[in-house]
Amino acid sequence: MRHALKTISVVVTVAGTMLATTTGCGTSDDPSSPITIGALASLTGNDGFPAEDATKTAQAVFDRVNKQGGINGRKIQFVVKDDATNPGRASQAVRELLAQGAVAFAGDATIVGCAVNSAYYKQQSLAVVSAVGVDPVCFNSPNIASVNVGPFTSITANLYFASETLGHSKLCNFVQLTPGGQAAYTAAVTRWEKATGKKITINDDSIQPSSDLTPYLLRAKSAGCEAVVFNAAQPQVVPMVKIAKAQGMQNVDFLFLGVSYTEGVARALADLKDMKVYAGSEFEPYTDDTEANRDWRSLAESIGVAGSSFSQGGYVAAQTMVEVLKTIKGDITRESVTAALKTLKPISNPMTGTPFTWGDATSHAPNQAVKMVKLEDGAWKTVTPDFVVVPGADG
Amino acid sequence: MPLLLSTTIAGLAAGAAYALLGLSNLLTYRLAGVANFTQTAVGAFGAFTMVALNDAGVPLPVAVVTGVLVGAALHTAVGGIMVAWFAEGRQVVKAAVTIMLFAAIVAFGNRVFGASTVGRFPDPFAGIAFHLGGVNITWTAVITTVLAVGATVGCVLFLGRTRLGLKLRALSERPTTAALSAIPAGGLALGVWAVGGAVTTLTIILVAPLFPTDYMSLSYLITQAFAAALIGGFRSFPLTLAGGFALGALGGLASSLTVVAQYRPAIPLIVILVVLLWSQRRARWEIT
Repeated sequence: MRHALKTISVVVTVAGTMLATTTGCGTSDDPSSPITIGALASLTGNDGFPAEDATKTAQAVFDRVNKQGGINGRKIQFVVKDDATNPGRASQAVRELLAQGAVAFAGDATIVGCAVNSAYYKQQSLAVVSAVGVDPVCFNSPNIASVNVGPFTSITANLYFASETLGHSKLCNFVQLTPGGQAAYTAAVTRWEKATGKKITINDDSIQPSSDLTPYLLRAKSAGCEAVVFNAAQPQVVPMVKIAKAQGMQNVDFLFLGVSYTEGVARALADLKDMKVYAGSEFEPYTDDTEANRDWRSLAESIGVAGSSFSQGGYVAAQTMVEVLKTIKGDITRESVTAALKTLKPISNPMTGTPFTWGDATSHAPNQAVKMVKLEDGAWKTVTPDFVVVPGADG
Repeated sequence: MPLLLSTTIAGLAAGAAYALLGLSNLLTYRLAGVANFTQTAVGAFGAFTMVALNDAGVPLPVAVVTGVLVGAALHTAVGGIMVAWFAEGRQVVKAAVTIMLFAAIVAFGNRVFGASTVGRFPDPFAGIAFHLGGVNITWTAVITTVLAVGATVGCVLFLGRTRLGLKLRALSERPTTAALSAIPAGGLALGVWAVGGAVTTLTIILVAPLFPTDYMSLSYLITQAFAAALIGGFRSFPLTLAGGFALGALGGLASSLTVVAQYRPAIPLIVILVVLLWSQRRARWEIT
């Protein structure tokens, strides 16, 4: 009995999926039917990853386009699937989105999705304009372009800012490894060394999530590091600065990545006024009320999403996708979106330092610039009015 | 001052924390008869309660006391489960139950406090006490060390010299016999759990600024607590104290040796293997 039920449920599921696939294919060419854009997001499974900020803002961009008449009269239907930060689910969710007729993805914010799905995207000639790329594959795949700078280029940018703008010669880079990231972290430092002709003083990727950071900081102090770059998130950045203060490292510049550019870090370190703390913002700094941020901010506020780089990523990715769709004459399909991207002219956005490109490249990392923010009196202040563009861009 | 020595000294501050947590773990094992995996998850829960209250504007002393009480209450609840259902269970069953409870408490704590939210732990003792071998020793490190040594002496005297200590030992070693000898078994055991929860919460509040201040990382300090207790053979308080300091010092030393730094989490295992081999050095095996 149980076996029979199981068989029936499998048959029903398979039939349902086939039906959905056929319907999806059938509608995508119909001029009156909506254009389906998918997004894969780690909405659950990691509380420290506000993927929803990205997808909600992307949704708001598409809603506005729809209100204004859509793309050549066709509405955009935005379908977001949660991958639950689980590789198996990430793989399944992409197949479901394709079955629903998605012609491209935009506004993705996934921790596991790029690595899991890159090969499938290629096989299905699906283009992904991701809002927040995390793992190296998000920046090194022929079918994915992330609009954020990402952790690897951010390290190069921080080192570049420390050596070229702050004028330091002894730089130390500490890395807490993320899955699959070791080679990319090493490459980030090598890229800085090639661009500047300088040598890193310490490059240590042995920091573990539960490490006591005191011995590492003593090492940095004894090596005479003038600037310390560290890729970790809030829970480790705060103790690092506190311990550094206890060890008398007030003369050292601490540079963190966009992941630490948060109100939480600013508040937690507000009392340590004599410490020099920087972070690299991957977009126009979200705490700034600038012209570049104006449209994004008013849109995000209208849907009740608080300012964050995730929300900015969702906005830029969705805006970019809209621009791409507008260039397509005729049917909008996976193939025509990919073809449009290949012949795309660079799309500038005032919120990013370098334009969005795709072309024939086998990998895409269009965003190669950060703005540095510095902690002053418990708030982040922008210290580079212009974007710091990393030289030697290959994206 | 050579770097190796200064990083080793720096590791001692974390070592004092490991020692205190190890002592608390050992106390629960010796007096309640449970190898308890939930200890630091419970302590972190109490500590984060303190942070949440303090963030909400509750004065620090009130927040600390409430946090400690929450830690004690939660630990007592865990103890209640162990006493009610597993008092006569085998060690392996009890340990497995606490592992399940650990997973549940961590999942719950992550939900309540956010898996990677920074706890804004107050750091009133961050000032420099003195300078030793190129390291600034903070008052936090001094206080933790004094507490660890004090707790060791206290535990040894309490168990060896007091009537209550004797009753508790009887209780953990022969619960049924102890109960038949008119020792209030359930109440005493729960008291031990409450004290363990309070001490662990207080320790985590004190040493949190040294570690990544998210709920998950603080919960995983249990590995260091167990390692320290194992070095003490789950028997000796002084050896547990020494074990905690040894783990901290070796961790500090390893971080300045690039070749071994990546394997720092394996240090407790290596230390325990060495201790076990040393303690068994006079053992003789006969092959028949």
